Amino acid sequence: MSAGVGVDLENLWIRFGDFVAVRDANVNINGGDFFSFLGPSGCGKTTILRAVSGFLDPSEGKVLIGGNDMRGIGPNKRPTALIFQNLALFPLMKVWENITFSMEINGASSAERRKRADELLDMIALPDQGDKLPNELSGGQRQRVAIARALCAEPDVLLLDEPLSALDLKLRQHMRTELREIQKRVGITFIYITHDQGEALTMSDNIAVMRAGVIDQIADGKTIYNDPATAFAASFVGENNVFRGRIKKIMGNEALLSTNRTGDLVARISSVNQGTMREGDEAMMFVRPEAFAIAPDGAAGDHFVTARVNHEEFEGNVFNIFTEGDGGKEIKVSLPNLGQSFENHTGQNITLEYETRNAVLVPAGELAAE
Amino acid sequence: MNNSFLRISIWVYLAIFFAYLLGPLVIMSITAFNSSGFPRMSPWECLTFQWFGELFQDQRILNGIKNSLIIGAGTVVLSVAMGLAGALMLTQIWPRLRATYYTVIIAPILIPGVVLGISTLVFWDRINRMLGLGADSFLSNGIFLTVIGQSTFIASYCMLVLVARLQRYDMALTEAALDLGATHAQAFRKILLPFMRPAIASAAVLAFLASFENYNTTTFTFGEYPTLTIELAQKVRYGITPAISALAFIIVALTVFFALLNEAKLKRQELVAAARKNATVEELAGKIKLPSFFSGNMAAVLLVVFAVATITVVGTATAYNPGQCIADVKEQKRLEADQRIQELRKQREEQRKKREAEEAEQGDAQSAPKPSNNSGFGNVFAPNSLGDEETSEPETPPASNDGFGGAFDPNALQKDQ
Amino acid sequence: MPHFLKEFFNRNGTGMGLGILGLVLFWTIGLIILPQLSMLDFSFRPNLPPPEIGGPKDVYTLENYKYLVFGPEGGSQDYNTVDLRVFFRTLLAAVCVTIFNLILCYPIAYYLGQSKGSHIRIFAIMLIIPYWINEILRAFALRIIFGETGVLNTLFVGLGIWDMPFDFIRNDIALYAGLGYAYILLMIFPMYNVIESLDKNQIEAARDLGAPWWRIHWRVVIPYAKPGISSGCTMVFMLSAGALAAPQILGGPSSLWFTQLIYQQFNDNNDWPQGAAYAIVLLVTCILFVLAMMRLFKVNMGDIGK
Repeated sequence: MSAGVGVDLENLWIRFGDFVAVRDANVNINGGDFFSFLGPSGCGKTTILRAVSGFLDPSEGKVLIGGNDMRGIGPNKRPTALIFQNLALFPLMKVWENITFSMEINGASSAERRKRADELLDMIALPDQGDKLPNELSGGQRQRVAIARALCAEPDVLLLDEPLSALDLKLRQHMRTELREIQKRVGITFIYITHDQGEALTMSDNIAVMRAGVIDQIADGKTIYNDPATAFAASFVGENNVFRGRIKKIMGNEALLSTNRTGDLVARISSVNQGTMREGDEAMMFVRPEAFAIAPDGAAGDHFVTARVNHEEFEGNVFNIFTEGDGGKEIKVSLPNLGQSFENHTGQNITLEYETRNAVLVPAGELAAE
Repeated sequence: MNNSFLRISIWVYLAIFFAYLLGPLVIMSITAFNSSGFPRMSPWECLTFQWFGELFQDQRILNGIKNSLIIGAGTVVLSVAMGLAGALMLTQIWPRLRATYYTVIIAPILIPGVVLGISTLVFWDRINRMLGLGADSFLSNGIFLTVIGQSTFIASYCMLVLVARLQRYDMALTEAALDLGATHAQAFRKILLPFMRPAIASAAVLAFLASFENYNTTTFTFGEYPTLTIELAQKVRYGITPAISALAFIIVALTVFFALLNEAKLKRQELVAAARKNATVEELAGKIKLPSFFSGNMAAVLLVVFAVATITVVGTATAYNPGQCIADVKEQKRLEADQRIQELRKQREEQRKKREAEEAEQGDAQSAPKPSNNSGFGNVFAPNSLGDEETSEPETPPASNDGFGGAFDPNALQKDQ
Repeated sequence: MPHFLKEFFNRNGTGMGLGILGLVLFWTIGLIILPQLSMLDFSFRPNLPPPEIGGPKDVYTLENYKYLVFGPEGGSQDYNTVDLRVFFRTLLAAVCVTIFNLILCYPIAYYLGQSKGSHIRIFAIMLIIPYWINEILRAFALRIIFGETGVLNTLFVGLGIWDMPFDFIRNDIALYAGLGYAYILLMIFPMYNVIESLDKNQIEAARDLGAPWWRIHWRVVIPYAKPGISSGCTMVFMLSAGALAAPQILGGPSSLWFTQLIYQQFNDNNDWPQGAAYAIVLLVTCILFVLAMMRLFKVNMGDIGK
C-alpha cells in the first residue's frame, strides 16, 4: 500500500481577491490511500483539488506530490489525473478515443491505443462499447469511461471531484463499491471530494472534514463518526442530537454539562479536546439517535433525558421518535426494529437513556446547516 | 368561424410577404431568359441563353469575380480568426471590462459601412505616410484595405455566431485535456476546435457571403481591384442589361442549391443520430443500419429535383437555338415598323392631298400658287420637313415613350446578337 | 502583471494567450478604435495636397463642419440648405423604413416564433435565401419591377388600372421598398429569437382571461419581445441611414441620400476631410438618435446583437 505516491499540503492558503477559499491547510496523504475531503458545497474542497491538479496556484504554501514541490508545474506536467464533476468526456470522440487521449498526446499509434482501450474497457466491464459516443452511454457507463480515461494516463494520484453526484441513489451506492475495488486493484493514491458523508465513510481510508475553507478534522471514518473534533464535524457527519450548555465540572476524560432545559448531563470529552476544555466553557454534547434507549418512567440522573414526544414514524428497520428538544431543535431517537411491540407515545413524556461513552463533548461551535 | 378567418388571413399575409421577398428574385431570374435587350418579363420575346454567354465574355465581370474570391478568402481567414479570438476573450474577460469590451466589438455591426470604409482608408493612408511608404505600397493596396475594412465588421458577425456555440462549451473539457497531458495548443486543436467546427463553418460561410456582397465599405477601399459587387454597381448604375439578370440567376440557383444541400445534410445528421441512439450494442459494434439518404428527408428530395432541373436546363441550353425565334421576332418587328411607316405615309399622303386641295381653293381665292412657308401653319406642314421625317424613321424608331423603352429598336436587337 | 492577465495566460497557455490577445487587440484597437479616431482627427483638418500634410498649414479647423451647416464661405445662402435637407431627409426616411419594416415583419416573426412544424424551417430558408443574394442584385431586381416599363407598370397599365406608367423611382417608392427589402431579415431574426422563447402558456392564459388578440400583443408579447424589437429596429435604422447601394441604384435623380454626399466628397471632389466630417456627423447623429430612442423605450445596450 505504501508503495504509492503521497501528497502533502503545507500551510496552503488560496485567496480569490479578498475571499479566502482555503485557510492554512496542512494535510499529509499517504501513498496508496483513498483519501476524502468531506464538506458542504462552497467549503473550498474543490479549490484544494484544483490546486493539487495544477489548475490553480496557491496564494501561499506548498503542494507536494511524492515529496516534490509542484509550484510552477502545469496540470499537463503533473502526475495527477482528475475526474471532473461532470466527467468532461470529449463529446465528439468515441469511447476508445476518449480513454486513450493521453496516449494520442504522446504519439502512440492507433493500434496500440485500440489495444489499451480494449484492456481498460474490460477492466471497467464495458467490453465492445469502444465505438459508441459518450452520449450514447448511460450515466454509470460514462462514469466508468471517465475513470478508465484517467487511469490510462497512468497517474500516481487520481483526483475525483464529486464524480457520483449526477447518478441516482442505487447506482451511486453500487459505484462506491466499484471505485473502492478499482482503487485497491491499481494501488494508486485516490483523492476524493464529496459532500456525501456516506460516500466518504464507506470508501475512505482517511477523511478530512472541511468547513468554510478550514479543515476541522483529519482521521479515519470511524474516528470521525465516533469521536468528532468539532461541533461541525459532529453535526455534519451522520445524524446527531445536540445539547448546548456550560461545563460544570470536569472529571478526567468526562465532564458534566449544565444545560438549560434538560438539567445536568454527563459526557465524554472528545479525544482531541481532552485537556484543553475548562470548567465554565461553553460546550456542546452530541448523542446519536441510535445511542438512546427508552428508560423506565421516573428514572433520573445525569445520563437521562426526559422530553415530550412530538411525533413518531416507522421506517422499517427503525422506529423514529421525535421529542421536544433543547434550544428549539428536536431530539431524534431511533430504536431498531427487532420485532418488539411498540406503543405510541405521542403527546406523552418519555425518559431516554444513554451511555456516557456515546455522548461526545466538544467546544461550542458552528453547526452544519440542515 | 372566427378561427378559420384568422387562419386564412395569416396565409394571405404570408403569401404577400413571401411574394415581396422572393418575387423580385424570381422575376429577375426570368428576365435572364428573355431575348429582349432590356431586362423585362413582358412582353416575352424568345427564350434565349445568349445573356449567359455574354456574361462569361465580360472581362470586367470575370476580373471582378477573381478579386471577390481573393478578398473573400482573406476576409474569411482574418474575420473568423478575430471573431474566434474575440469570442474566447468575451467568455473569460475580467467582468468589469466585459460590458465595454462587448460594446466595442459589437459596434462595427451598427456603424454604417460607409463610415467603416472611410475610416479604414484614412487610417491606413496615415500609417502609410508615417512609415514613409509610397502610394503603391502594400498598405495602400486595394485588396489589403478591402480585407481589413470588411473584416472590421464581419468579424463581429463571426464573433456572434461563434460565441453562441462557445457558451455551450464546457471549459472542463479543455482542463481535462490539459490534465491528461496535452499542451494548451493541443487542447485547442484537438478539443475546442473540433467542438467549434460547425460554428466555424457557419461563420466562414457568413463571412464569405458578407464579403462577397459588400458594397458600402468596399466602394471606398477597392483601389485598383474592383470586386464583382463594385463592377455590378457600375453596370447597374450606368445601364442595365439582361446579362446582370443572368448573373443573378446563377447566384440565386447556387444559393438555393447550397441551402437545400445544407438542409439535407442537417436532416440526415439528425436521422443518423436518432438511429445511433436507438441502435443496440451489437449493431454499433458492427455496422449500424443507416436510414437511406432520402427517407424522411424532404430537403434531399428537393435537392435531387433541383439538380435534375438544372441538368435539363443546361442540356436544353446547349441544344437549343433561339435564332429562328429571334429572327421571327425581328421580322415581326420589322413588319410592324413597316406597317407603321406605311400608315404614317398614308396619313401624310391624305393630309397632303387635303392640304393641296385646300391650298388650291385658297390659291384660287388669293392668287398665291406658290406653296410657301409663310402660311399660318408655319413650318410644320411643309412637305420637306415631312419628307425628312419619313426617311429618318427606320433609324430612329418611335421614341421610348411607348412604354416599352428601346426594346423595339431593331438596331438594339442586332447589336445584342 | 495584473491578476486577471496572469490568470488569462494560466488558463490559455502563453502561446495561445498571446495569439488570442494579439488578435483581439489588433481588431479592437487597430481596426475599430484607431481608425475611427483617425477619421475624427482627419475631419478637423483642411484639405491639403499630400506634400503639405503635416506642414504649417495642417492645423485643426472647424471648417468642414461649418461647411455642412453654412455652406461655402461667401455663398449666396445663409445655410447649406441643400446638404442639410438631404441629411434630415435621410434620417426621416430611415425612420420611415424602420417603422415600415417593423410593421411588416412583426406578424411574421410572431408566427414563426410561435408555430411548430417542419414548414417553419422551410420558411426560414426562404427568408434567408434573399439575404444571401448580392445587395446590388436585389436593388437591381426591384428596379426591374419598379422601372418605367417594369413588371408593375406593365401589369397595371395592361389591366387598364392606370393609363400612364407611374414613376416609382422618381417618387422614391422604389427606394423605400428596396431599403425595406434589403433589411427584412435583420428585423425578423432578433424578434423571432425573443418571441420563440416566450412561453406559450402566457398567451393561453391571457386568452383564457378573455383578452382580445390585440391586447394580448400589446400587453404580453410586445413587452416581452422589446429587446428583439429594439435590436431589429436599431440595425435596420443604422443600415438604412448608412445605405449607399440602394439609393444609388433605386434613388431618383433629384433625391440624394446623405451617404451619396459623402461618396461624392471622397470620389468626385476628392475632399477627404470634408467627407470624413460628413461621415462623423452621420455616425454621431445616428448613435445619438438610437441612444435617445433606447432611453425613450427603456431598452439596454446589452440587448442589442443578441
